Amino acid sequence: MSLMIDGLSKRFGSVAALDDLTFEVPRGQIFGFLGANGAGKTTTMRIVVGVLDADAGRITWNGADHRSLPRRTWGYLPEERGLYPRMKILDQLVYFAGLYGMPRDEAIREARAWLARFRVPEYADRRAEELSKGNQQKMQLLAASLHGPDVMLMDEPFTGLDPVNVALLREAFLELRDRGKTIIFSTHQMDTVEAMCESVAIIDRGRVVVGGPIREVRRATGRRMIRLSVEGDHRLEWLATIPGARIIRPGIDRSEIELDAGVEPEEILAAAIAHGARVNHFEIADPSLEQVFLDLVGRPLDDEMTLAPAEESAA
Amino acid sequence: MRSIPDPVDPRNEPLFPNALIVARREYGEKVGSRLFHLSTALLAALAVLLAFSPIMVRLVDSGSSTRIGVVASDDALADRAIAIMSGVLGSTAGGADAYVFTRAATADAAVGAVVDGSLDAALVAQRAPNGRLSFTFHAGEGVGADRTQLIGVGTLAVAILDWTGSQDLSGGPEFQLPTLDVVAATGPNAGGQPIGGAEYASRRVVGIVFIVLIFITVVIYGMWVAAGVVAEKSSRVMELIVSAASARQLVIGKILGIGAAGLTQFVGILVPALLALALQDRVASFVLGSSESLGASFVALSPGLLVAYLAFFVLGFALYALVYAAAGSLVARPEDLQVIALPLSLVAIGGYLIAIMALSGGGGSIVRLASFVPFWSPFVMLTRLTVSRVEPWEIALAFGLLIATVAAMTSFAVRVYAAGVLLYGQRPGLRSVIGVVRRI
Repeated sequence: MSLMIDGLSKRFGSVAALDDLTFEVPRGQIFGFLGANGAGKTTTMRIVVGVLDADAGRITWNGADHRSLPRRTWGYLPEERGLYPRMKILDQLVYFAGLYGMPRDEAIREARAWLARFRVPEYADRRAEELSKGNQQKMQLLAASLHGPDVMLMDEPFTGLDPVNVALLREAFLELRDRGKTIIFSTHQMDTVEAMCESVAIIDRGRVVVGGPIREVRRATGRRMIRLSVEGDHRLEWLATIPGARIIRPGIDRSEIELDAGVEPEEILAAAIAHGARVNHFEIADPSLEQVFLDLVGRPLDDEMTLAPAEESAA
Repeated sequence: MRSIPDPVDPRNEPLFPNALIVARREYGEKVGSRLFHLSTALLAALAVLLAFSPIMVRLVDSGSSTRIGVVASDDALADRAIAIMSGVLGSTAGGADAYVFTRAATADAAVGAVVDGSLDAALVAQRAPNGRLSFTFHAGEGVGADRTQLIGVGTLAVAILDWTGSQDLSGGPEFQLPTLDVVAATGPNAGGQPIGGAEYASRRVVGIVFIVLIFITVVIYGMWVAAGVVAEKSSRVMELIVSAASARQLVIGKILGIGAAGLTQFVGILVPALLALALQDRVASFVLGSSESLGASFVALSPGLLVAYLAFFVLGFALYALVYAAAGSLVARPEDLQVIALPLSLVAIGGYLIAIMALSGGGGSIVRLASFVPFWSPFVMLTRLTVSRVEPWEIALAFGLLIATVAAMTSFAVRVYAAGVLLYGQRPGLRSVIGVVRRI
């Protein structure tokens, strides 16, 4: 009972967008789909919902070929999204639900109920062009999901949203998950993935780098982390004497220390006590997804969102 | 039997109800817009002006003379005809200079003079052995239905006075009504069959109205389809739509909706135009004087022609709209639409110009050939049907070719649309078009 993506390949001219991409999304979970821009996330989603065809590979949902299933199985919120600017919101929601086969009366009822859940019932009679970008985005999510699909695929659903709307959307995701829906979304926001997802797949250049339950993915690199708080000493200079241990996130209250494979957390605790430190907090943790991504892909997830080093750009 | 999966629509989804849902949205958006109301009012005003154009032409033309060459089987008859008709027509219609009759040597010479424009018409009179007079009126392009009717009155006067002249004390032959055949010396007369002057004048008016309307239908409404596709791409709603419905449902639904909106506007234009045609005689009498009439402009507006017009409207619009939909899917920005739509508009303009040629009676074999070409037949065959007589097999062939082309174009346009709607950021050019077509 899952969405199985098996050996998917797709080329655009000389560019291989997907290269034998394989992963599984368990039913009823929130699934994080991670990768840098151009990694193949959008192409994968488009193929799953049938907007694009794969050159090779197979996609099944509960064992059935994805293109043999009715469209209402899927709900797709594309990254390139918009609404009809001059059409009223309620009309748009009913229109899209109608295309997915939902009876008009039911669509009106559902649309009004969800607008009320989002605390914007008055939007029903407003034109899309009258709404802010963030509010339009919420309406687009409703347009993609009002018909009650089994699987929701959302490409960067949190991009451009303010913290209030991010929280609303997260809550909506959790509620849909609790109703038995499977939710797949891509994002650059690692904290959101870590907070919401039970499983993830990290892809790079059209291939899966690592995938599975989030805890397993975090442990995939063999690295470990500890969070340490020592009274009266936030610099932890004594740590420099221990090979394979480094502070990756210093803090006045608490610091995060990364350990190479083979370095045991207990060694750090013993060294702290040996230096006469009074330990307030000691926690063994897995590395963050961001660190896993950096280790496995070789560059940060948001690499293209930062300036290149000055000498590199000058060259 | 196992169905073969369609590469564009492997789910084999039925066309309806989704095509109707799309059509209803397109129709509502189009008909509800202020631009639609404005353009309908503007085009209706233009159509009314066009329908009244013969009156305006007549108003401008009212001071001019109609030069008619007279040929008769004997000199006495020729002289009598010239004298009587000058007297009768000069006193009843537009003053002494309204008609100028001159003697012509032969019928061929007179008709030749009409063709080259040195005469407006030629009247050939012949006396049968039983004394009955028969007239053939070779009307040039500028001779309208009203003047042709007056010639009929004149020939009756000639026959009466000719009969009275033949009577002697012992009596003479009984009076026999003369015959009058009206032949178009210039202008359309397909198959050598003469078309009466009144009908000819009427057909020209109807023909002009039809050609202009069908051209507007195809180009403007076709552009609506293309603009609708581009608007969906530029507003980024396209990807939501293509995941909710198949390309076939979307393309056909859009064309149905916009076609229905076009038909609504069309009725809004045609009803005032037909009313104007119906009132033409009354307006002509009011504007030009009580003796002026343009003849019945509805003579040419037969039910068969209206059915043909409706069929050409539906098929012609469908054909062009399909191509416009495919073209619209290849561009992402409204400003790029003109670039890709121009070649298609030029094709339509080509058909329009040939139709105008056919309306003037020119073109010959070019017109005939063009009337079978699917992209032109909605203009050219319709014009041939309006102003001349067309063989039934010719009509069947034109419709057959048009229907087959619409069917083939539906499949092609849906494939281009399916591939093209996800193209963003590419400038419209031959390479991108070929790239899309090769992928489908």
